[in-house]
This record gives sequence, C-alpha cells and structure tokens, in this order.
Amino acid sequence: MSNSTINKSNILHAVNGYQQALDHQRELITTGTDFNEQKGQVANTIASLHPKRLQLIVSEVVEDTASTKTLRFKAEGLVLPPFQAGQYINLFVNIDGTETARPYAISSAPQQRDYYDLTIKRVADGFVSHYLLDDVKVGDRFQSTGPMGTFYHNPLFHGDDLVFLAGGSGIAPARSMILNMIENTHVKRKAAQKIHLIYASSYEADVIYADELKRLELEHDFLTITWLISRPTKGYSGRTGHVSAALLSELLGDDLEVLQEKMFYLCGPTSFHDFCAEQLEQLNVKARRVRIECNGPPKHPENLDGWPQGLIATDKVTVTINKADGTQGQFEARVDEPLLNSMERNGYSAENACRSGECSLCRVKVLKGSVFNPAEARLRSTDEAYGWCHSCVAFPTSDIELFV
Amino acid sequence: MTDFDAIVIGAGNAGLTAATTLQRGGARTLLLERHNIPGGCATSFIRGEFEFEVALHQLSGMGTEKNPFIMRKIFTDLGIMDQLNIVEERELYRVVMPSLENKEHEIDVTLPANLKALKKTLIAQYPEESDNIEAYLTLCEKLSLECFMMLPRAQKMADEAVLKSSCPLYIKYGLTSSKDVLNEFFSNKDLKAVIAAYWCYIGLPPKDIPFCDLAVMIYAYAAFKPCHVQGGSQAISSALLESFLAAGGKVLFNTGAEKILTEGDKVKAVQTEHGDIFSCEHVISNTSPLHTFNELLDIPTPKQAADDMKSRRLGTSAFVLYLGLDCTPEELGVTAASNFIIDDRDEEVAFETMQGIINPTHTMMTCYNHDDPTFAPEGKSSLSLLCLQYSQAWEDLPVEEYAQAKYAFAEKLIDHAERVFPNIRKNIEEVEVATPLTMMRYLNTPGGAIYGFQQNAQDASMFRDRINAVSGLHMAGSWNGMGGFQPTYMIGESTARAVLKKITKKQNEKETEMKEQELTNV
Repeated sequence: MSNSTINKSNILHAVNGYQQALDHQRELITTGTDFNEQKGQVANTIASLHPKRLQLIVSEVVEDTASTKTLRFKAEGLVLPPFQAGQYINLFVNIDGTETARPYAISSAPQQRDYYDLTIKRVADGFVSHYLLDDVKVGDRFQSTGPMGTFYHNPLFHGDDLVFLAGGSGIAPARSMILNMIENTHVKRKAAQKIHLIYASSYEADVIYADELKRLELEHDFLTITWLISRPTKGYSGRTGHVSAALLSELLGDDLEVLQEKMFYLCGPTSFHDFCAEQLEQLNVKARRVRIECNGPPKHPENLDGWPQGLIATDKVTVTINKADGTQGQFEARVDEPLLNSMERNGYSAENACRSGECSLCRVKVLKGSVFNPAEARLRSTDEAYGWCHSCVAFPTSDIELFV
Repeated sequence: MTDFDAIVIGAGNAGLTAATTLQRGGARTLLLERHNIPGGCATSFIRGEFEFEVALHQLSGMGTEKNPFIMRKIFTDLGIMDQLNIVEERELYRVVMPSLENKEHEIDVTLPANLKALKKTLIAQYPEESDNIEAYLTLCEKLSLECFMMLPRAQKMADEAVLKSSCPLYIKYGLTSSKDVLNEFFSNKDLKAVIAAYWCYIGLPPKDIPFCDLAVMIYAYAAFKPCHVQGGSQAISSALLESFLAAGGKVLFNTGAEKILTEGDKVKAVQTEHGDIFSCEHVISNTSPLHTFNELLDIPTPKQAADDMKSRRLGTSAFVLYLGLDCTPEELGVTAASNFIIDDRDEEVAFETMQGIINPTHTMMTCYNHDDPTFAPEGKSSLSLLCLQYSQAWEDLPVEEYAQAKYAFAEKLIDHAERVFPNIRKNIEEVEVATPLTMMRYLNTPGGAIYGFQQNAQDASMFRDRINAVSGLHMAGSWNGMGGFQPTYMIGESTARAVLKKITKKQNEKETEMKEQELTNV
C-alpha cells in the first residue's frame, strides 16, 4: 500500500526504533480504516441520549384542577429519550408572533418513554401558562429541548431517606420521582427507600393529583404524604399553615443526625422554596442535604442586594443587539425585565432552557453598558470581567450593547 | 476579495490560539464555535457553590516568573499573560498503591515539583537505586534539551552527521519504548511505577510510549513546575477570545461548521449549520480529521488523508467525577494536588481495564484547592476523580441503562479513591458524572477521545507528511500532535504562523503585481 507519510526525514533512520516505528505504521495501515464507516456515528450517539430538540404532539389534555392541566406530549418520531425523575424540558411556544419558551418538570415516570406529561398551573400575571391552558388542544405540535436539569435523585450521595417539600405545581417532579421509586429495580435500594412528601397548596381546590397520590400512599409503604393548605375554607379539617421549622420538627423529628441523613428536595414558587430553605437552615440541616429547583428569574430585582441605587423598576433603557450577520437592532426595555424576555418580545433570541440562571445556554456578552446579575445567575468566576451574563436573569441597568 | 482571510473551526485550545495569532498577525479571521462559550474542554461549569474545572490537571510549559518557559512567551505574544493569575503547584504528584488487606499502603510516594528535590526524594525512598536514579534523571534532562533544541535544528539541516553529533541520547533512547528504558535503568518495580505515573497523561502504557515523550514530561514538569490558573482553564479561554476580539476578530457562537466548500481541491468557503456561507482562503480545523475530512469536506476524503488515518487508532476517553465536598483538603487527608491511586505496578493491567466498564484499577484524584484556596468555597474541597476509559462499552449500552451504569461505575470509582481518602462519600455536596459519552457530547470527538489518536511512536508528526491534498485546509488540535493543554495551544499558534506566512506572501505578490500594473499603465 502506498503511503505518503513515510518519506520524510530520512536522517531519522539513524535513530534507534525509527525503523520499527515505520514497520509498525505499515502494519497498522493494513488493518486500519479511514473511519468513513463511522460517518454520523458521533451525532447519532449523542442524539440518542441528548437530542437538542424534540418534536412533540399533544395527545391528551387532562384538567387536574380549575387552575391546572396536565398536557401529554407524544414523540412525533419513535420513543422519547430517557430522563432522570425530576428533570425538565423547555417547551418552545409561539404566542401571537412572540417566540419564547418555558421549562416544565416532567411529571410522568421515566420508565414511560412513549410520552412526557407536563403539569401546568396558571400563573396569575403569566404569559405562557394562559396560552397552554386556554389555547392548546390535542394534535397541536411543539418543539422542546431534551430533558435536562440537576434536580433529581442522585444515588451517589442522596441516600434512600427522602423528603420532598412541594408547593403548588412543584408537585410535578415529585410525582415523577414517586412513580420512579415504584419502578425501582435496585433490590437493596428499593427495600431501603422512603419518601415523605409534604405538599403545600394555597386552596383545597388547588391540590393536584390528590386522588392518585392518596391511592399511591395506600399502596406503597415507602410513601408518606402530609397535605398542607395555607388558605383553607371554613371547616377544612386537615393541616393548615406553612412548611415551618416547627412543622418539619413535628413530622420528621428534631434529631439533627437523623435529619442530616435525609435529602430534602424543594420545588415550588421562589417564595416557597426560599421560605422552606430558611426553615431547614434554622433546623441546622446542612446545605449539602438540600436540593432546590430554581424557578425563574427574580420577580423584583430592584429589591435585591447589589441593585444600583436610584434606579427605579419602571426606568427604561435602550438595548442594542449586534447580530451575527453584522447588522444591529435596537429596542427599549424596562430595567426590571429579564433581558431574554425583552429580547424575545422584540424578535431576538438566544438558546435557552432553564430560564432561571442555571443552565448557561442563554449566555450573551455585554459589549457596552451594564447589567445586574442576581444570585440566580450561576456565572463562572471569570464571566463578569469579560461581560458575559445569563440573559434569562440579567437586567439591563443602563443603555447596553449586546453580542448574541 | 473573500469574506475572511481565514476561518477557524472550533474554539478549543488550538482554535483559540490559532484565531488569535491570525487576527493579531493581520489576517481577517472568523472563529466558528458550536457551543456558546470558548474553550472546548478548557472550560468550567457551576454546581451549587462550586465551579468545576473540566479538563486541566497540570498546566505544563509555563515556568516561573524568574525562570519563564515557552508558554509564558506564547501567552505574552497572544496578549493575555497579564490577564492570568498563575498558581504554581508544589508537588508533581503522589502515587499510592493501597494494600489489599487494609494494611499500610504498599507504595506511597510524593514527588516534589523541583528537579533537585525530586532526585533527593527518589534516592531517599529507593537508596539502593541511587546511581540509577541519578543517571535516569540526567538522561531525562539531557534528552529533553536535545528534543527542544538540537533535534529540530538537525532535522531542518537534514544532516545525519549533525544529528549524530548533537543528539546522541535521542538516537539511543528517543524512540525506544519507555518500558525498555525503565527496565534498563531500574530493577525496583515500585520505583518504575512511581516514575512512570505520568503515562496516563498520554493514555498509553509505557510499553507503547516513545521514551522522549515520557522523559520530557517528567523533566519539564519538574524543572518548570505544573501550574494552575485562577478561574481555571476557562480564564485562559476567555482571555484568548477577548484578545482575538480586541484585535478585530469575528466570532460566531452557537454556530457549528456544516461544510467546508472547495473548488478545484482548494478551500473556497465554509458553510455554517445555519446555512450562512463565508468565503475564505484558509481554513484551520480544530475538530478531528475524521470529522473534518469525512464529514465537513464537500468532496470525498482525499486519498492522502484517508491513508494517513488508516495508520491511526482512536485514543482513550475518560470517566470523570467532579466532586464538591463539604470538608477541607486537610480533613480529607490531601497532601498533593495530583494523586495516582494504582492497584498494580504494571500499567498494562490498567490499560486492559480501560477497554470496558470494569472495576477501576488506576484512578487519578486531583484536588484543585490544595495549592490555592480560591479554587473552592471556604471550608470545602473541589476534586476530580478520573479514570481513563475507551467509549465502546458505553456506546454499546441501551440508552435506558445508561444512567444506572453511570452511577454504578461512579460508585466503584469513589470506592477506589476511598481506599486512600476514606471520607469522600459522606462529604459530598455536589457531584457531576461525566462518562466517555459526555466527552463525546461536549468535544464532538469520535469515541469521546480526549487526547486525539493513540500517541504511540509512529503517530508522531515526524512520521507524517502534512496533509496538503486540499490547498488552504490546515489541521490544528490534539489529533495531529500530542494531546493535552500545552501541545494544543502550541500547535494552534504554530499552524497559524505558517498560514500567516502564506497570506503575507500572497499579499506581497499581489502588491508587486499591482505596482507592476501601475507602472505599465503609466
């Protein structure tokens, strides 16, 4: 076989081992390949585990409560990719011409690969939830990201004694985790596993999956559920109030060592998980035993530490976008609106998934001007020095120029 | 005029140094990157309070401020040296071979990052081999100097007499199997295992590593010290990108290259995944030759490239656990940043286990905040546990079994490391698991390869002609040289310099032509 690679540097024949290496090369060539048979293999392998986009079709709409529906999404193609119970997909929508997206935890079991259930609760001042609850019907087509996120049971250190504090639609990942525990094939772990779900809702009528969860609690010893209503109707006989430190002590005991063995999952509105995290801190539960699912950008960034003095929430600034094709675009934005949202409303976009500062897909570079990065923005230590921010939780605090 | 003089595909280490060198050298350069961040594997990610370094274990080639080495010069030339806060490591590494019966470790040696201290430490540990140690380290030093200085000169002159007179050690040992050299110098098996521990930075057992590579590694690390950069390798990547942009370079993130378009065996343009086409004279590809020639190029793989690949074999990938621990390095018993935990003195045993998803026998534990506390939150530790592994067994798994297999193997890796650092598991605050398929996902490399092709003797560039079947297409990355940080930074820079020369030459020719034209017109 001819080979152009071996004519070089003939003086090197003087080096011990040079000839052996050449012989080795000749031998390798006879059994080797030009790798053309592997064409597409990397892309296919990755797509089977982590597809960038899923093509989905709504196959069922179930009204859970007056304010909540579960939409069932089937794959347009074959089966859906596997996920870990607790993970979310980011659902892309087009509402009256605005392209945006929202992340929703998958509420169905990971073993169910024919569909994902997304449980959507109406957000009073929301944008996307109204559309999904009011306008979407069976047969509608959507795109989403693949499953992602770090809020799931990690067997390496979470242990088998779990506590899930769910507020409102925060029940969605809890349902998936419970269904997953039912299917647990790890014999030892299945015998040891238990989960205490403390499920807080505002009103009795808001409770999602009530019947199913009650049935599962009866059927499975590993599951204990405490129901909590913060605004009960007259005559409600169940527990009322909030997930307080006192309640947690009453339900879980106050032996710190026992508490420290548990893993706490917090999912619900930001105010809910902030409150719960404070209660756990009061009980001296270490941060490493608490997992919090992030939930969108802060509603009132102007109230946070580090917000520029004198800047008022209703102030407006000019955002200039340097587009990839070399042209520029401009729009006005309020300083208290996350950049990604104002960009989308004005016809620009950045890849995104968690929309809570964590996944870093919506990273953009600020070329001029300044932005406010709240604690939600999980920036790398060198990002701010070079102007990088996560646009889903970044707020423009002056006229800015962006590179997207 | 073309849209750009040069287009660089991929903002990995070599892509970044290539793009920055080109743009600072006056070439109008476009950098394409399919992710939203520069660096390739030279990056970091956040979990909880931790920022995890993805790939950099020990940066080589920096030297100290007083005794600078080549990477300082390159980073200065690229305009980023003053942006970097360098942390020098105190130790090269600690090698531990734990006892199987829970007794005292069979081997437990820590090598300092200093030539003299290294020699003293080895002699104190293995006094019966003191002369051999002395001779071996002297050989490593002299051979390294031959490789750095005399060998390139002799090759340039193509004069065998010069080679023979100036590179006697290279002639005798340079391409010899490292295992043979170790056997020639030492009889103590522990000593051989200890001194060859850097083999896993290449990914082949010493039997298959040409001795010049192993010798240069131990000598250069000891003489010029292993380093870290505050902010991790992402700090280097971000600084390079900034320097590129400041020089007027154009970058497109979230934009993979889809096709390299040619005309008459000459590069004409690059088409992006979004369908945009940018014309150019030169393309520097920082992605693998498999992807470049077999998938990006718009013509069948040229025979020259296909033949070259036939003698190559895919190199190793790695399984990595990124661990944020709720305890200090001291509490964990860490005494060196880099640790090799081995089950067997014979590296070929470890190499065997790299082929499947079997109990790890060779684990690397890096503690990032051992030499500088800023690499982890106060009171905590940032670690990576790594074992080299090929991807095939992972590719063969059904997708629904992947997560479980990943955790099962991670448990084994923690078990293995806990034989030396017993309190890892109970202190975990954050953990992320990366398998060879994770490497494949983020690096886009066949087999999730982290160092490119297997770097045995015949893989080296001295056994290769530059692939020039497509005029204007250049390769730069771990696939056409050594893997690791220093080599990839360097190959990006040197490839770009060669391209710059061509661009300048062509511009000069054009100018002369135009002047002549003007003269004729007059």
